[in-house]
Amino acid sequence: MIDELLAQFLIEGREQALEAGADLAALQRGPADPARLDRCFRAVHTLKGSADLLGLTPMGRVLHAAEDVLGRLRGGQGEGGDFSVLLEVADQVERWLDDLDTVGVLPESASAASQALIARLAGDGAAPQVAAADDWDGASAFPGRAGVAIRYRPRADGYFAGDDPIAIIKAVPDLAQLRVSLAEPVADPALYDPFRCTLVIEALSTAALPAVETALRLVRDQVALATLRAAEAFAPAGVEVETARRTLRIDAARVDQLADLSDQLVVAKGGLIELAAQAERGGDGQALGQALRAKQAELDRLVAALHTTVGQARMTPLAPLLGRFPRLVREIAATLGKPAALEIEGGEVEVDKAVVDGLFEPLLHLLRNALDHGVERPEARTAAGKPAQALVRLSARTVGDQAVIEVVDDGAGVDPARVRDRAVARGLIDATSAEAMSDAALVDLIFLPGFSTAETVSSVSGRGVGMDAVRAAVTRLGGRVEIDSRPGLGTTVRLALPIRMVLAKLLVVESAGERFGLPLDGVAEIARVPADRIFPIRAGRAFVLRDEVVPLVDLAQALGAEAGPSSDRVVVAGVGGEPVGFAVDAVVERIDAVVRPMAGLLAGARGVSGSTLTADGSVMLVLDLAELLA
Amino acid sequence: MRIERNGAIAALHGHCRVEDAETLAALLWEGSVTTLDLSGCDSLHGAVVQAILAFQPSVVGSPGDEFLKQHLVPALARRATAD
Repeated sequence: MIDELLAQFLIEGREQALEAGADLAALQRGPADPARLDRCFRAVHTLKGSADLLGLTPMGRVLHAAEDVLGRLRGGQGEGGDFSVLLEVADQVERWLDDLDTVGVLPESASAASQALIARLAGDGAAPQVAAADDWDGASAFPGRAGVAIRYRPRADGYFAGDDPIAIIKAVPDLAQLRVSLAEPVADPALYDPFRCTLVIEALSTAALPAVETALRLVRDQVALATLRAAEAFAPAGVEVETARRTLRIDAARVDQLADLSDQLVVAKGGLIELAAQAERGGDGQALGQALRAKQAELDRLVAALHTTVGQARMTPLAPLLGRFPRLVREIAATLGKPAALEIEGGEVEVDKAVVDGLFEPLLHLLRNALDHGVERPEARTAAGKPAQALVRLSARTVGDQAVIEVVDDGAGVDPARVRDRAVARGLIDATSAEAMSDAALVDLIFLPGFSTAETVSSVSGRGVGMDAVRAAVTRLGGRVEIDSRPGLGTTVRLALPIRMVLAKLLVVESAGERFGLPLDGVAEIARVPADRIFPIRAGRAFVLRDEVVPLVDLAQALGAEAGPSSDRVVVAGVGGEPVGFAVDAVVERIDAVVRPMAGLLAGARGVSGSTLTADGSVMLVLDLAELLA
Repeated sequence: MRIERNGAIAALHGHCRVEDAETLAALLWEGSVTTLDLSGCDSLHGAVVQAILAFQPSVVGSPGDEFLKQHLVPALARRATAD
């Protein structure tokens, strides 16, 4: 069981650590970005939970400290924030994951490394490193550089102790930059004490962190280190770094079925050769036609069967996912001091692998919430005539083309009045409209961003990885979330998810003040075409891209809007086999999204192939560029 | 360390060790030396570097030692001109 969990953690943990690292690097460089900070916080939060579950104490501790720091930053405390130490935490976690991958345990140095990072995250001056670090920010010391930033503040009596700070820094491998300065100005040159060390040495090394640490091990308590990542190493801000490394386990019987089908296809193809030979000999046209039709029917059947089988191969049962929760729930319950049992049903329900992959975090959050906020304390339960041990049920079933997953607790339910007061207090709704809302509508408010019913911050949940994150995650998977609460009896959260989903890769662009999705498989490249490289050609405009004349279409005009202010961003897409440049106002990001075909009156809209829900719940149109130009 | 005076320029030679910091500080405090030529230096102790930072003479020269030439002398020269 642990092995399976560890294997899962090695895959997911890595993705989360990578994601957190990329976000932290962007935050360190760029302006404050609450969405990025949120995402980072969630990644660290989940990593922490997994590390604790697997008994990786040093990793769990340092992630807990990192989560605290991120939580404060999210709360708007701590100006700017020092993301360099947080980045080091992300890096350290990645390295530990490597260790876990190769030897299955954390290295012996993990505790010490964890302690050191925690001390630096705390920044409370208690740890010797902090004294050296002050409020030092490695990134601002060496802007735009990659490597390990070093700040070395030798002890005042260092010269007497026989230390030569210059010799020590000289021993650091791969020095790229060096700065020397004095910690304090010389107040009176006449009283200058040449043997009281006031040196401050800042340096940048391009060697790996462990190598730098080794070189500085004797003065480690006087040194602050920060790992810097170069801006070029990451995609520009706003464009998601694709980190997902997905694996798919397929039932062997299905692979056999696929092999069988492909054999039959080979045989059917062989039959065509014989028919072609007959046609060449000029045989009976009608007989030939009938034979061809029979072959076509056979090919039809095979292709359809292949399509279905491949589709099924993507389907995977929920059991392994659901099986991860019992222990988590036990641990959460123990932490909270609320005895609880978890019942699991419906592990045999099969859904698309992509859906399964996206469900762990939302479900974990829902279970945490149920235990933390839903379930009452044992004394209160007994007083209310309920068994002291709470019951949480996690169940899955298939309804039509949807999988319905429910998290049901027998706790106190959600109090609509409290939700209303909180929502009003937080400015999410105004008091008058709140009065008119039904209880169900009020309870639904907990999905609003910025809402958290927890009165106090608890270590289990309630630090604002809110229900809005759950709804966003489920929306991304093409599903929806509902909540049903009966005061005093319990809460049911219901996720309805598509069993099959096709994720389309979309390039999100901005044109005429709106965002549109372009299918990424049609996009050849994104170019910058300055106005002076655009020339009129007949009725239209064109530009030269690598010796080829490419027609240029203003996307806003093609959509029937006013041409926007000219920007030099051009998306080059293949339309009918020819490249066409589409001028857009901005290229926003790349996303994986579930595209739904347009329905009803909009089905006939020209140039629109479907729509998708974005993470914030708004609808984005997905364009069919070929149809747009037709 | 060996110091070679040439007017306002003092050239330091050899290994400048911790005990040389006092000599150098005294020389720089006295004020007639405004420029240090580090071409002949083989190494500079932290205390010597600190004395140079404290009294801010101009720093010139390109020592043979890689670390001095690549990193330390440029760092001291930058420091002197920046202030």
